Amino acid sequence: MNNIGYALIFMAIMVGIFILTYLGNKNTPKPEGCEDLKADCGGCHDISCGHHPAHTE
Amino acid sequence: MGELFTLFISAALIDNIILSKFTGMCPFLGVSKKSSSAVGMGAAVTFVIFAAALVTYGLYYMVLDPLDIEYMKLITFILVIASLVQFVEMVIKKFSPPLYKALGIYLPLITTNCAVLYVVLENIAQNYNFIEMVVYSLGVPVGFMLVIVVFSKIRERLEAADTPKYFKGNPIGLITCALMAMAFSGLAGLV
Repeated sequence: MNNIGYALIFMAIMVGIFILTYLGNKNTPKPEGCEDLKADCGGCHDISCGHHPAHTE
Repeated sequence: MGELFTLFISAALIDNIILSKFTGMCPFLGVSKKSSSAVGMGAAVTFVIFAAALVTYGLYYMVLDPLDIEYMKLITFILVIASLVQFVEMVIKKFSPPLYKALGIYLPLITTNCAVLYVVLENIAQNYNFIEMVVYSLGVPVGFMLVIVVFSKIRERLEAADTPKYFKGNPIGLITCALMAMAFSGLAGLV
């Protein structure tokens, strides 16, 4: 198998691992008392950033 | 031993990741208003950088290099960091609620922290051996934590100071950051 094939297989494995960890994390309930914890990032006010308050309000 | 000590001091102070390389500026400005948040962020960054460095170093020399697919390192390292952050968050949610309360909210912010990617790429680019990689991957986050905690203390005092209206918030923070960068550049002759 040439190295393009290895690269594709490796890539698929890495993406699969990411999806598994993402779903595992998403489906793990937050501990008691931590349900409404939010990172109070007040940095650059970039609206495209996922941590901007506009995306959570 | 002396070389390792020099590498650590250089990574933590002289080539400080924030004040010299200007990476990791997002959490530096965003999570430095309170010193308690800064300490939490610093601890989370230290853990993630060290863990990511160990995993990526192993992956590069045991998988990417032997298979001759080194060109995949950037995308691989990004996925490793993202997966590692998700995994760490899941584990501390499950097994250590107090730790999650202290660090959990900072972990998603670290996924987009370019300082982590910088360290893992630098470990490969500089051809560090395993011991050097460990020292460098501890020195960089120690420097990050030192600077963000000092900066947060200064910002807490600035909140109470009589700052001109148009300098309040990030502008005075960036001026402070520039002064700190100048002060740290004075350490260049140390090693």
